[in-house]
Amino acid sequence: MEFAGKMISLVVLLVVPFVVLGDSCLSPEVKAETYTTTEAIVSTETVFIVQFTLTCKNKVRDMNLYADINGRTLPVTKTDKPDLYQVSISDDHKKLSSGKYEVRLYDEEGYSMLRKAQRSGESVDSVKPVTSITFNHPGVSKGPFVQSEFVAVVIAVLVWYFAYSTRSQLQSSN
Amino acid sequence: MSSKKDKAQKSLTKEEELLLQDFSRNVSTKSSALFYGNALIVSAIPIWLFWRIHQMDLYQSGILFAVGTLVSTYLVAFAYKNVKFVLKHKIAQKREDAVTREMTKKFSDDKKMTRKERDERILWKKNEVADYEATTFSIFYNNAFYLVLLILCSFYVLKNFSPMFNYLMSVGLAAGLLALFSTSNK
Repeated sequence: MEFAGKMISLVVLLVVPFVVLGDSCLSPEVKAETYTTTEAIVSTETVFIVQFTLTCKNKVRDMNLYADINGRTLPVTKTDKPDLYQVSISDDHKKLSSGKYEVRLYDEEGYSMLRKAQRSGESVDSVKPVTSITFNHPGVSKGPFVQSEFVAVVIAVLVWYFAYSTRSQLQSSN
Repeated sequence: MSSKKDKAQKSLTKEEELLLQDFSRNVSTKSSALFYGNALIVSAIPIWLFWRIHQMDLYQSGILFAVGTLVSTYLVAFAYKNVKFVLKHKIAQKREDAVTREMTKKFSDDKKMTRKERDERILWKKNEVADYEATTFSIFYNNAFYLVLLILCSFYVLKNFSPMFNYLMSVGLAAGLLALFSTSNK
């Protein structure tokens, strides 16, 4: 009887973790919305925000996800809504230049493999992500080449110069 | 100026006296109204600039705007008058021949008119032409100069100050400099 009890607890200890952790997402479907900074006048850094819903066929929810964007690995935030996740990075305007970016999403298992690959210096491409999101960053605009007040000054000075030269002409004695 | 005028009046003929009066620094009521009306309009322009561009509240800064506009109106009108006075002489000289020619042509058929009357008419017309041209040009010139000074002050010289200080200083500087420059004869 005592032996049977020990066996049961051993089975529970060995099997239950696999039941819990083994739930990897099957055929994931992802819908993403992205925001990227578009102008540099009022923003000091470029920010990417990726918000996405991830639904799995096997109804796995509240996963601990990790994202790899542009070689930077960071945890994904779970929101209060089910299946809705958010991840964001920010850096200098120059470092996040325009172009296509890929967000590779990893679950716990994939993340540990990714870390392992990073530690041993292997290529991280071999680690398969759960899914990935690609988005386009159109780049930041630095505003018009000449500022509007400069244009206003130039026009005002031109009009004044015309007035001034006319006045000089009127006042010249001949 | 006034002593010179008094001295001149004694020895001058009636026509010359009339001419002197026309060319004095004093402006007619109509001209004065035109000057103050225009000065008020051009002085009110900075309100829009500081309200829409520099984000000042229209009602909160109402008193400031009113005071700034009134002071600026006075100074701009002062500049109008000075520039007009300086220009009127020069314009009268420049347009003299053309006006005389035109008026002589106009009166050539009228045999009844005496020479004296004709000369008086020409003088009057000359004065009118010079007055009109000097008035309008003075308004144009001073408006252009005021706006240049204002834009330079508010956007470049005082751009790092608070909008309230910026408004007072740029309107004060623009109107003050305008009035100062108008006193020069060159």
